[in-house]
Order: sequence, then C-alpha cells, then structure tokens
Amino acid sequence: MERAMEQLNRLTRSLRRARTVELPEDNETAVYTLMPMVMADQHRSVSELLSNSKFDVNYAFGRVKRSLLHIAANCGSVECLVLLLKKGANPNYQDISGCTPLHLAARNGQKKCMSKLLEYSADVNICNNEGLTAIHWLAVNGRTELLHDLVQHVTDVDVEDAMGQTALHVACQNGHKTTVQCLLDSGADINRPNVAGATPLYFACSHGQRDTAQILLLRGAKYLPDKNGVTPLDLCVQGGYGQTCEVLIQYHPRLFQTIVQMTQNEDLRENMLRQVLQHLSQQSESQYLKILTGLAEVATTNGHKLLSLSSSYEAQMKSLLRIVRIFCHVFRIGPSSPSNGMDMGYNGNKTPRSQVFKPLELLWHSLDEWLVLIATELMKNKEDSADITSILLKQKGQDQEASCISAFEPPGPGSYERLSTGPGESKPDVLAGKQEASADCQDVISVTANRLSAVIQAFYMCCSCQMPPGMTSPRFIEFVCKHDEVLKCFVNRNPKIIFDHFHFLLECPELMSRFMHIIKAQPFKDRCEWFYEHLHSGQPDSDMVHRPVSENDILLVHRDSIFRSSCEIVSKANCAKLKQGIAVRFHGEEGMGQGVVREWFDILSNEIVNPDYALFTQSADGTTFQPNSNSYVNPDHLNYFRFAGQILGLALNHRQLVNIYFTRSFYKHILGIPVNYQDVASIDPEYAKNLQWILDNDISDLGLELTFSVETDVFGAMEEVPLKPGGGSILVTQNNKAEYVQLVTELRMTRAIQPQINAFLQGFHMFIPPSLIQLFDEYELELLLSGMPEIDVNDWIKNTEYTSGYEREDPVIQWFWEVVEDMTQEERVLLLQFVTGSSRVPHGGFANIMGGSGLQNFTIAAVPYTPNLLPTSSTCINMLKLPEYPSKEILKDRLLVALHCGSYGYTMA
Amino acid sequence: AETYDFLFKFLVIGSAGTGKSCLLHQFIENKFKQDSNHTIGVEFGSRVVNVGGKTVKLQIWDTAGQERFRSVTRSYYRGAAGALLVYDITSRETYNSLAAWLTDARTLASPNIVVILCGNKKDLDPEREVTFLEASRFAQENELMFLETSALTGENVEEAFLKCARTILNKIDSGELDPERMGSGIQYGDISLRQLRQPRSAQAVAPQPCGC
Repeated sequence: MERAMEQLNRLTRSLRRARTVELPEDNETAVYTLMPMVMADQHRSVSELLSNSKFDVNYAFGRVKRSLLHIAANCGSVECLVLLLKKGANPNYQDISGCTPLHLAARNGQKKCMSKLLEYSADVNICNNEGLTAIHWLAVNGRTELLHDLVQHVTDVDVEDAMGQTALHVACQNGHKTTVQCLLDSGADINRPNVAGATPLYFACSHGQRDTAQILLLRGAKYLPDKNGVTPLDLCVQGGYGQTCEVLIQYHPRLFQTIVQMTQNEDLRENMLRQVLQHLSQQSESQYLKILTGLAEVATTNGHKLLSLSSSYEAQMKSLLRIVRIFCHVFRIGPSSPSNGMDMGYNGNKTPRSQVFKPLELLWHSLDEWLVLIATELMKNKEDSADITSILLKQKGQDQEASCISAFEPPGPGSYERLSTGPGESKPDVLAGKQEASADCQDVISVTANRLSAVIQAFYMCCSCQMPPGMTSPRFIEFVCKHDEVLKCFVNRNPKIIFDHFHFLLECPELMSRFMHIIKAQPFKDRCEWFYEHLHSGQPDSDMVHRPVSENDILLVHRDSIFRSSCEIVSKANCAKLKQGIAVRFHGEEGMGQGVVREWFDILSNEIVNPDYALFTQSADGTTFQPNSNSYVNPDHLNYFRFAGQILGLALNHRQLVNIYFTRSFYKHILGIPVNYQDVASIDPEYAKNLQWILDNDISDLGLELTFSVETDVFGAMEEVPLKPGGGSILVTQNNKAEYVQLVTELRMTRAIQPQINAFLQGFHMFIPPSLIQLFDEYELELLLSGMPEIDVNDWIKNTEYTSGYEREDPVIQWFWEVVEDMTQEERVLLLQFVTGSSRVPHGGFANIMGGSGLQNFTIAAVPYTPNLLPTSSTCINMLKLPEYPSKEILKDRLLVALHCGSYGYTMA
Repeated sequence: AETYDFLFKFLVIGSAGTGKSCLLHQFIENKFKQDSNHTIGVEFGSRVVNVGGKTVKLQIWDTAGQERFRSVTRSYYRGAAGALLVYDITSRETYNSLAAWLTDARTLASPNIVVILCGNKKDLDPEREVTFLEASRFAQENELMFLETSALTGENVEEAFLKCARTILNKIDSGELDPERMGSGIQYGDISLRQLRQPRSAQAVAPQPCGC
C-alpha cells in the first residue's frame, strides 16, 4: 500500500514536471542524466535524484574518467560540489591524467569550490601525471589571490613537475608579477633549476618578462646558465627583448660587455641583436656612447683578425660587416633625447658623439698602412719586375707545402691559400737581404686584396653613417683618391671585389667614374645581380622576397579608363610601399596576383604609346618610340610623362617587362649619356645619312645656304627655330659644320623634348636611382626593360613542364607544339599572354619566367575533353589547361578561338 | 660558447727570423712549425689558459719582424696588455735591436705593458752569440721578465706566456691595472659573472632577507 502510494507520488511529480524524476538504474546512463544538472548547479534536482538511488557518486565516466565531483569543481557548481561531498564523493579522486577535482577548480579559478574541497580535506599536494599540482595551475594563470589562500596548505611550495618546474617557474614564464611575489613570500626557492638547469630568472628571460625578471633580480636571484651553458641573456637577445636585457644589465653591469661581444656570434639573428642594442642605446646618452664604443672596439678587433691571413676570410669578413652594420644602425638611431636629434657629428671629431668612432681609428690606421705598404710594393715591383719574376718562378716549388696557415684555424672556403714568401725563417741571414727587397709583392696583394677590400667597405659604412643621406664623406673620397692606384690594382686583378665590397661606388658618382671602365667590362649578368641587390638593399626585410600587400595598398583601377585611373592612383600611392610590392585589382573583378600585375603593365605599356595621347611618336622603322615634341597638345602631358617614367621604373624595379621599345637615343637619355648625330638614325635614318654626308664632304662650294636654324613642323604649320642665338643669320660653313651637326642633333633629339624627358626621368628616378642605371649601356637597358623581342619556340619547348597526366610524348602535346610552330609571331605572343599574363619573354629566355612566388616554368595540364571546351589558364602559375582534344584540327581551332577572344579579363577559375 | 674570466691582448714582437710565429705555434698547437715562412703583416692566435684558478683567454697578435711591414705591425700595438719580446740567442743583431722594439712597445702600446723577454732557439746553444747573463742584465735594467725558450723543443714556451699572464693578473689584483679602463687590453669574460657578489646597485635596493 505504502509502496503503491509512493509510486503514485512519483508519477504525479513526474507528470507535473514533465520529466522522470527517477535516476536510471545503471551508473553510466544515470551519470549522463546528472551531468548537465551538475554543470548548471541544479543542486535541488540532483539532490532529489540522488536521494533515492543507488548511484555511486564516485563513478568515473567518459574518455578521461572523471567523477561528477570533477565536473562540479571544473564548472564552479559549488552547491552540487558540497552535495556530492556530503554524499561521500572522494575529493582526491584522480582522472585519467591524474587530475583531482582540486586541480580542475584551481585551473579554472573556482574559488568557492576550492575552499569547500579543502574543507573536505582534499589533498593539495597531489600531482597529476605530468607532476603538476594545484599551485602550478594557479601560478600558470596568475591567480594570486587563490594561490595566497592555498599555499598555506601546501607542504612544499617548490614541488616540481616532471620537468622539474616549480610553480615559480611557470609564473615567471607567464609574467604574473603578483603571483611571483606571493610565491617568493611563501618561501619558494628563487634559484631552483629545473631538469635542464633553467632557473626562474631563465624562464622569465626566455619570454621577455621584464617585470618578473626585475622582481627576481631585486630579490637576489642568481644569474645562472642552464646545463648547456645558455644564459638568461642569450635568451633575451635571441628573442630581441631589449627591455629585459636592460633589467639584467641593471643588476649585472658586466653583461653589457657580453651583449656587445655577442655581435661576433654568427648564430644570433642580426635583427634581434640590433633591436636589443637599439633599445639599450636609447635609454641614455651615456649608455648610447658606451654601446657604440664597445661595438667599435669589437669591430676593430674583428677587422684586425680579418687582416690576419690565417683567419677564415669568409667568416671574419661576415663578422666584421655584421658588427659594423649594427654599429652604424645604432649610431644613426641615437638616444631618444630630443636635444641630440640634430647633432650627428658632421664636423669631424668635435662632438662627443663622434668619439665613439675613436676605437675604429686603429683599424683605419692599419688599413691605411696596409695600402701604403702595397703601394710601395707596387712601385718596387715596377722597378725590378724582371727580378721578381725569376724569384717567383724559383719559389713555385715551395708553395705546395705552404699550408701552415691551418695551424690556428682552418681557412674558410673563401680564404686564399697563403703562398710561400720564401724559405723558412731559420736561415734568415742567407736570404734575408734578397727577400726583404723583392719578396713577392704579387703574393702580398693576392692574399690581402679581398680582406683589405672588406675593411674598406666597413670604413665606407662608418664614414657614411656620419653623413646626411645621399652625401659621400669627404674623408672617404680623400681616402679613395689617396689609394687610387692600389684600389684599381685590386679590381683589375679581381673585378669581383667591386661587386662584393665596393658598394660605395654606386652611391658616389664621382668615385664611380674612376672605376666605370672596369665595371662596364664585367658580364651583363653580374651587373644585373649587383643592380637588383643594391636596388633592394635599403628596404626593410630585404631578405623577404614576397611580402604580402595590405588591403589599403592595393591599386584599384578601372579597366575602361585604365591609363587615367592608374595615373591618378600611382601618383597618390606611397612610393616606398610600391617599391616593396605592387598589387593591382581591376574594378569589379576578383582576380589579383602576379598575373594581374603583369597584365596591368602590359596594358599600360600599350597605352603609354597610344597615339591618342600624343605622348610618344613612332620612329621611322615603326617599331620604336620616342617622346613627341608636340605632346603639349595634351595639356596634362608632363604629368603623363612622369607617370610613364614611374611605370617603367616600377616595372624595372619589380622585374616586369614592358611591351614598348624605345629609340636608341631615348635609352641614352634615360642613362644620361649624351646623344650624337649617329643616334638620329634610330629616329630618322634618311636624315642621319644627310648629316653624315655633310660631315664627309667639303661643303664650301655647294651653295647649300644653310643657317644655324631649322624649320619645324608644328601640327602642319612650319616654324623656324634658331639653333643658337641669332642662328638664323649665321651660315653653315666647312669650318663650323661639325658644330651645326651637333646642335641640330641636340635640338632634334634633346632640346625639342627636354621637358618631356625631364618629366619622364623624374618619375623613373623615383624607383630607379640614376647611379644604378648607369651600370648599363643603351642596349642592355632595352633588354632590362623590354626583354627579348623574338619568341624562341625551341627554348619554349625546352622549358615547359607537363602535369595532370600529360607527357612530352603525348599526341596532344605533339599537336600543340606543331600548332605553335605554325603560328605567327603575333599569335605566339597572344598565347604567351594568355597563359602567363605577359607578352614578353624575360631576359634569359623561358627558363626565367616568373610566377606568383618566384621562378615558375610554363606548364601544360591535362583537362578531360568535352565538345566545344576551350583551353583555360592560371596566369599566377603560368599554367595552360589544355583539354585532351581528339585531333590536331580541333586543338588548333579551340586554341585560336581562346586566344583571340579570351586574352583579357579575370575570373576565379 | 667559450667562457673565461678575462681576456688579455698579447703581442709577440722582435726582429725577423727570431722564431715568433714558431713560439706562438708551439704554444697553441704544442708542436714545432716545420715550414715556417716570414709572416705577412700580423697573424692571430688564441688560447684559453688557467692561471692561478682563473681562466684567461689570450688573444695573441704575432707580428711580422721584417722592416717592410713595420708600419703595418705598429698599428696593432695599441691596447696590448702583455708582450713577448723575442730575440735569437744565436744572433747578436737581433739582441741589439731589442731596445728599439721595447721603446716601440712602451710608447705605442702602453707604458704599463707587461713585457717578458724571450731568448729563443735555446736548443742551438753551441751557436750562441748572446749569454744568459748579459740578457738577464738587460732585462733587469729594463724591468722585464726573462726566459730562454726553444720553440723547437717547447722548453719554457708555455711558461713565457703564463708568466706574463700571471703578472698581469697580479697587477689587476693589486689594483695596479684597471681592467675597466679603456685600452687596458683586458676584458672581462662571461664566466666572471658567476663568481661575482651581488652588484652594489642591487644591494642598495634589496635588503637581503634574513637568511638564518
């Protein structure tokens, strides 16, 4: 009866609450009924359900085998937690990873749960499987208040996890200041090493936690390296944590010297070290001077080592240049105090700032002495060269054994083998006289030239960092002039030195001219490399080839007014950013990337010479262009010339070829080379012949009645323009005909278009410095700007890859190349443009075609054939997607249709 | 990374053919350099030694003795802490030029430079032209330390370098030399930090917790 009543009650309750109030019989099902209630802390429901059930409150479930008490602790369901504890739940029950409910409460900062668990005598000292205890969890997350309460219950505040890490270690690593203080106040061991020997200070430094490191040092933490000898300072420098380094130095002033010495360590990343030194130098004027003086001393020692022939040239050279680069960078940045902003010490050694260069004077002094010594040897060499030759020949035999250098350090790959200077020192009296006089100055030069040149490079860097940008230091110019002969001797023997070390030439035209004949004699390829290397050297992260362009810097242009909208947007864009990377998007199209950029350049180069704008005129042969002397019909013409210069400069800067060929004389104008009458031939061959005839023949008795003036056609009307003041009344005679030819040439090719040339160059020089472009002649410039005019099909075939099932031998591929062979030059250009986005083959041929991320060969991919399917392309990766056509005829037909209709426009394939 | 308490800059100077490079080679490689040539300019070698419980890195600049390199080698003198002044006991000529070398060292490097005189080629005693007594008198008059060495057998080579280093260390301890001074030719190494007491600045701000 009673049972029936109770059954009825239950039924009523269940119906009223629209759910069963009875817990299922088996623990597994029951626990999933209870879990959501525990999570929501519905303790009444839980209590009710538990009251009449046989459920085991310690039942562990799920993948990690947790009990409901874990769940309550984890979620902060304090009422349920207490209920479960009252029901006899084990407070120290460990889940599969060894975690107790207390661990979970600590991890999530469940304060009330933690205190209740402790009330029910939860053990605070239990470790999980990784050795972590509740205080580790609190320390990781910086829960200082909870830690403060808990730590009183902990027997050992230095309890270690499996890696030997204490709560203090993890708090330090995460930079929780108050937590660190709390642990230290509770007696944590401030110098405790983990299994790798890393102390709390080491942990703080490894993550650049400056404040934490400061607390530790303030409380007397020792500065200890780990078991591998890695010090906290090493970690700070590796991470570029300048502020943390500053704190370390504050407590251990001698680390200052260590940081400076670190510049010699080639394993450290230069930019991190630079960052740290920069930060330190900006703290105070005295610190700034101290760092720079230290760096100057290190550089001097390294420079002297480089001049020791037994050292490795490669390693020492890199080391010296790295130190000097850092030195110059820190010097330029300067301490942040504004009063010193302008004092760059241009005026010699008068200001304290320039005192930092003093230690380097030792090195410059040695350099000077070396060069004087070599000059003396060169003189001697000239005097008795015959004598030397005979001695050299005699010594050849001994050279083989001259490997004594390796005694101290093995010579690096780049170091010269030191050649014998004579027989052993043990019998100096016999040969000394002869030796002293003649020795082999040849050898001295060959073994020292590279090393001295690297020191010269360092000298140049130090001289220029004291100068305003763009100015060459008078001291350095004087230096080059003084040692002119020796330097020329160096580069004559090994021109590579110019490219390796004489970068100063590119920045200093007056010095460049001294070496120009040697430079011009170097292979085009080497000069190209030097050109691009230097072009990009000033840019941040110049080691990164492809930088992402931010959304704001995308050039958004309208396809239907491409010339005008591009001109507008480029003139507004940030020049420095354009140098780093360009991204173009056409209005209303999705496509972006290298292919679009190339298409943009292609369209623009066609537009620049579009006769509608009257900017350029075709020369007599119809293939080349030069500025139109009448371009002013377009009132905005100079702006457009500047824009044309910008586009060509940008294209060259980014190694994009343009689709225009200019006249020989216009290339000369770009290079700043004066034109002569023979250049007229590239504009007007017939006229050039006439000028030549005047020069070749005696004109005295011909009665030409020429004056120093010319008639010019200005849109149909003839105007007389004097070649010089009053030229209209000066007759051309046999005596002054050369002047006439020169003046008429200048008028025709320069004066008539001077404003246009100037505007063009103004734009061009925004991206290409004049000193750099000088490396080339007019023919090479054409190659650089416009690439090869002809498309070489054999080269194309040779540099093509196949993918997605195609092979070179497949019939479809054979047909494809047969079709290409039969195409006109124009169709080939269309095909190239269709696939690569550019109508030009880069210099060096198809092997050098660029894709979105560097070199990317022309590729043909197979696509299953369906009738009428046209070929498609992915210009970013230079890929032609060629359907597997059943016959050559169909292939040819579809290909030509695609070429003639689909060359422009992008949609995402 | 190499660790040491101090770094000393050393010079090896003396006339051509006295065996300077061979002394350095013997010190660094522990063997005699058979096919030695005239040094071109200045050569460099280094070794870390233990002196009186301290580790010291010796950074040694071995200079060419030939006259034609004199202007180049002189430019390396500045900031040297110690020097080996070498002559050849079988060549009076090399002994006679010692005074000039010494003047160079004291004027160009530093008046405080610690110099040890080395009469090299001790193994060629039968051909001796300079007696031990004569040279030691010279050393005394000029306040030099003195040893006769043999780069061939290695006799006294290590001693020469170590003796020089020890003297410098003593001068540091006695305060006669100040490593912090610029151009002293002495630098602290990383290791010395570990033996340091708390730096003054730290003591001032942080009263040590009573460590009873």
